[in-house]
Amino acid sequence: MFQPHRNSNPRNSFDLLRVPLVGTLLRQKHARTLLQIPLFLISIAMILHGLFGPQLAPQNLATTYTWLHFRGALVFVLLLAGNFFCLACPFMLVRNLARKFFHPVRNWPRRLRNKWFSLGLFVTMLFLYEWLDLWASPWWTAWLIVAYFAGALLIDSVFKHATFCKFVCPIGQFNFVAATASPLEVAVRDTAVCAGCSTKDCIRGVREPATPLVSIQRGCELALFQPRKVGNVDCTFCLDCVQACPHDNVGIISRVPAAELTIDPMRSGLGIFSRRKDLAALVIVFTFGALLNAFGMVSPVYALENWVARVSGVEREFPVLAFIFGLFLVAEPLLLIGVAAWLTRIWGGTRKPMVAVAVRYSYVLAPLGFGIWLAHYGFHFLTGLYTIVPVTQAALGGQPHWGTPGLAPNVVQIFEFGFVFLGLLGSLLVSYSIAFAEKVDRPSRIFAVWAIVALIITAGALLLMSQPMEMRAVTLGVG
Amino acid sequence: MQLCAEARAVAGSSCLIALCLCLLVVQGCRPARETLPALKLTHEVSPQPPRVGHVRVTLKLTDSSGKPITRAGLSIEGYMSHPGMKPIAASVAESEPGSYVSEIDLAMAGDWVFIVHIQLPGQVSVDRQFEIKGVLPA
Repeated sequence: MFQPHRNSNPRNSFDLLRVPLVGTLLRQKHARTLLQIPLFLISIAMILHGLFGPQLAPQNLATTYTWLHFRGALVFVLLLAGNFFCLACPFMLVRNLARKFFHPVRNWPRRLRNKWFSLGLFVTMLFLYEWLDLWASPWWTAWLIVAYFAGALLIDSVFKHATFCKFVCPIGQFNFVAATASPLEVAVRDTAVCAGCSTKDCIRGVREPATPLVSIQRGCELALFQPRKVGNVDCTFCLDCVQACPHDNVGIISRVPAAELTIDPMRSGLGIFSRRKDLAALVIVFTFGALLNAFGMVSPVYALENWVARVSGVEREFPVLAFIFGLFLVAEPLLLIGVAAWLTRIWGGTRKPMVAVAVRYSYVLAPLGFGIWLAHYGFHFLTGLYTIVPVTQAALGGQPHWGTPGLAPNVVQIFEFGFVFLGLLGSLLVSYSIAFAEKVDRPSRIFAVWAIVALIITAGALLLMSQPMEMRAVTLGVG
Repeated sequence: MQLCAEARAVAGSSCLIALCLCLLVVQGCRPARETLPALKLTHEVSPQPPRVGHVRVTLKLTDSSGKPITRAGLSIEGYMSHPGMKPIAASVAESEPGSYVSEIDLAMAGDWVFIVHIQLPGQVSVDRQFEIKGVLPA
């Protein structure tokens, strides 16, 4: 049976913070800043090169680093470790510096304390990527990075805590969902130690003993109280809790990937997953958005766009693209998940309302969605891996030496399929665990229903990845 | 106290936005990179529509009065619109006065951007750019 990691003796688990060198580095008070500075400098170089450098995407740092190397490295680190990119986030470096001067006192509005707003931004990001052909535009890519810096600074200068990370940042939301499939999480080493703790510094922070109003170490700014924290959602791996814990009882601990999706406890800072429609919607958009993003890179998308344009008589790209987004991110999920939830009720024997069923089982899709993102981003990353060298050489004023750009596409395609199947396996195991953990008459039927949903999405992903890739900006009427 | 903190936050954010605008203005005020000689480059691609594989690009180079420019040294670099691909390089030969031909192997479907390096007789070299959009799979 697929079970989450919470065992009685977590000290037996692998703990990255106990690994020599790496653990020592991560436990340093300024470890995060140390990791953020290189990424900040690279970001500045990307912005400058994007604005002032050559406006041909394959020659520019902004487009090459962002759309090939950053995205690829991000998903591989999530697969092999955890949400370490949020740890090293350069936007937070600027925000942390600003917090030395600004001390926000406002709370993020209560009605926005959910994922709906960030979900909207995530969809907007996906849309802008296609509409503005961001991958082909160093100028737009540079402004996108500037917008992230400005957004983080603005939001967190006005609102307390980690408002930008928890409620706004689209990259953060992507990482939170993907990290449910990661093998590491920030967690307590021994729950018994927490039971005897009276200070709760991991959430409250550490105060100056003489002047209690002065904070000398932050607690978790994302409202995740370690003893009741479950999984990686909303955890930015900032390690504030590691620094704050007076008992050295927080580690970066191994666990079974995706197991956190199989249980449904009250989670600190999040509540109960099965009651979070916003989180379920985020997982759905994350999964179907992966298909949509991959679809944007293959031939059939152009045929579909031209067909929509011809049938509707609309020649502007915006409404045509909006229609396709509606098809992929609204109609398709509504149909698939709606039918599956209905079958779960009438065939599987659950007495829960249909929406509740849909919400609970939507989390099943997270591993598969991650597998599809991994396959797509991994393809670009691996096939263009070495282009980082000539593009950097040229940006530094040298002569670029273009050798082999990366691994051969036909070799990488094997990995692509492997990642999709890995995601499918994760989703099957999660759906099996959820179905058999519920008090229902026919759990095997419920598992079968959601397994079919996962198989349909997998078939779609494999079909897309078998298509010849076309890298072009959309031009209605061409092709 | 609250107002003071917010005022500082808004002031700081305004500074950042002002900085962004400065960046935009600075970028807009950049001088043109080069003073280009008055020449015109047109291109034709065959077959139409272009597909992955072998294509022939014919370039016609004329001066401002439409007179063909002969004996120029041309070379071509081709890039996909997406980063991550190695550029292709191709030589160009003059087939008739002012008309230059290049045989190119397009490795992938999609949009291609070509930079033509032109060495004019007795003058500095200049670059021109053209696109082949919507190259279809083989």
